Amino acid sequence: MSWQILSGTLELGLMYAVMVIGVYLTFRVLNYADLSVDGSFTLGAAIAATLIVSGYNPWLATGAAFAGGLLAGIFTGVLHTKFKITPLLSGILTMTALYSVNLRVMGKANISLLNTRTIFTDFAKLPFLEGYAVLVLSLATVIIIGFLVYRFLLTEVGLALRATGDNELMIQSQGVNIEVMKIMGLAISNGLVAFAGSYVAQNQQFADAGMGIGMIIAGLASVIIGEVLIGTSSIGRTVVAVIFGGVMYRVIIALVLQLGLKPTDLKMVTAFIVIIALISPGIRKKVFSLTGRTEAAKGESHAENP
Amino acid sequence: MLKIRNVTKIFNKGTINEKVALDGVSLELNEGDFVTVIGSNGAGKSTLLNAVAGNFSIDAGEIFIEGNNVTALPQHKRAEFISRVFQDPMLGTASSMTIEENLVMARRRGHRRRLRKAITSRDRTIFMEELKKLGLGLESRLTNRVSLLSGGQRQALTLLMATLQTPKLLLLDEHTAALDPKTADKVLELTRSVAEESRLTTFMVTHNLEHALSIGNRTIMMHEGRIILDISGDKRSGMTMEGLLEMFGKASGKLLANDKMLLA
Repeated sequence: MSWQILSGTLELGLMYAVMVIGVYLTFRVLNYADLSVDGSFTLGAAIAATLIVSGYNPWLATGAAFAGGLLAGIFTGVLHTKFKITPLLSGILTMTALYSVNLRVMGKANISLLNTRTIFTDFAKLPFLEGYAVLVLSLATVIIIGFLVYRFLLTEVGLALRATGDNELMIQSQGVNIEVMKIMGLAISNGLVAFAGSYVAQNQQFADAGMGIGMIIAGLASVIIGEVLIGTSSIGRTVVAVIFGGVMYRVIIALVLQLGLKPTDLKMVTAFIVIIALISPGIRKKVFSLTGRTEAAKGESHAENP
Repeated sequence: MLKIRNVTKIFNKGTINEKVALDGVSLELNEGDFVTVIGSNGAGKSTLLNAVAGNFSIDAGEIFIEGNNVTALPQHKRAEFISRVFQDPMLGTASSMTIEENLVMARRRGHRRRLRKAITSRDRTIFMEELKKLGLGLESRLTNRVSLLSGGQRQALTLLMATLQTPKLLLLDEHTAALDPKTADKVLELTRSVAEESRLTTFMVTHNLEHALSIGNRTIMMHEGRIILDISGDKRSGMTMEGLLEMFGKASGKLLANDKMLLA
C-alpha cells in the first residue's frame, strides 16, 4: 500500500471513527439498534455543505451539522419512548424521512465543495501542517471526542445511560427516567454521526444524498472489529477499541479494493464482515460474553443459581 | 407511613382474559412495620407490591407514602421513597457494570444525576465497609463486573443497594425464592438485620410460611386479590404454620365450592 493510499485510508478511518463512536453509544451502550444513522450521516454532510457554499464559516457549519444530528436523534427517541414505536421501526422512519429532509436542505442531489474554504483548508494554513492537515485534524478530533465520551460514560449521567441499556427495571427503580436517557443517548449518537458526516463531506469536497447508505452496517462492523481485536474489559479500553475498529474497517476496505474488487462491491463486503462476525461462534462469544448481556451470558449466570 | 386505599387493578381489561388482580385492597403500614405477605399463586401479592412501586397504573384507589399521594407518580419518581429487591437475582443489578458502579447508582437513588465523576474515593471507602459486612468477600472485587457474581451474591448486593441510602419503604418480592437454601438463609438473615438496624418499613412477599411468621411483626394473607387475614401482636405469635395452612385451605376450599356452584 502506498503512503498516499495509507494516509488517505487513515484520514477517512479517523473521521469514520467519530461515526463509529456514535453507533457504539446506541448499539452497545443503549442496546438499541438505531437505523437513523444512515440518514443523520448524510444530514450532517448536507447541512455543512449547504452552509459552506452559502458563505458561512465552515467551523460554524460543522457545529450546525452536529446540532442537526442531535435533532434527528431526539426525533427517533421521541417516536420510540413517547409513541411506543419499536426501536428498529422508529430508526427506519427517521432515516426515511431524513432522505427527503436532506434533499430539501441541499436543494439538489449533491453539492460540490471544490475550491471552497473548509475546516481542512483552514487547518492547513497553520505552520508545519501543510500536507498533514486532514490527518492531524481528524486525529485530534477523534481523540478529543473519544476522551469526552469516555469521561461522560463514567459520570453519574453516563452510568444511568449505561444502566438503561443494561437493565431498565433496575435503573428505573433507582429513580432514573429511562425515556430521558434513551432520547439523550440517541441525540448524542446521531449528533456525532452527523458531525462525522460533515467532516467526510468537507474532506471529499462534496455532499451527496446517498452518501449515508449502509453507514449503520459499516458502524456495526467497525464496533465488532474493534471489540474483537482490542477487547472491552473497561470503558476506556472499549472506547479505544471502537475508534481502532473504525480505522481498521477502512484499512480492510482499502485492502479489499487492492485485491481488485470494485468500490461498488464495498457494501456487500461490509455486510459479509458483519455476517461472519455474527455467525462465527468464537468471535460471537468473545464479542458478547464480555458485555454480559446476551443469551449466552445470561444462560451462564443463570446456571450459577440453583 | 404507607396507606393503600381501595386499590383495584384489572389486567387485560375488557378482553376475554380479564383478571381482577387486586379487588379494592386497603392496607395501612406504620413506621417500622415489617409485614410478610403470603398467599397462593395469583393471589395478588406481587401485584400489590408492584402497584406500590408504580410498575403500572392502578384502575381505582389511592396510594400514600408518608402522606404524599403517589398514585399518579411514575415508578422512577417513587424511587425517592422506595427501594426494592426482586425475585430474579438478575433484575436488581446491571450485569455489564461493575460492583462499585452498581452501588454508586443506588447511592444516588432518587437524586438528580449530574455530569460529574460518579465514583469518588470516599464512595469506595464506604462501599468497602458495607460490602465487608456481607461477609462474601466482595469488598476486594469492587471493579469486577456483576455478571461474574453468583445469584446469591447478586441478591446480597441488591439488598445492600436497596438500603445503602435508607428508603422509606423496602419492597421485597420473594427475594430468596431463586436461591439455594443456604444462600437463602444468609440473604434472609441480612434482610432481618438491615431492617432492624434502620427500623425500615418493609413489605416482604414470601412463599415460606415459616419465614412469614418468624420474620417481621405482622403477617398478611391474600387470596383472589383481597386481604383475607391480617395478624400481628399476640394473635400472630400464637399462630402456627398449621394454623396458617388451615386458613389457606379454607380460602381455597371456598374457591372450590364457588367453582362447583358455577359448574352446577
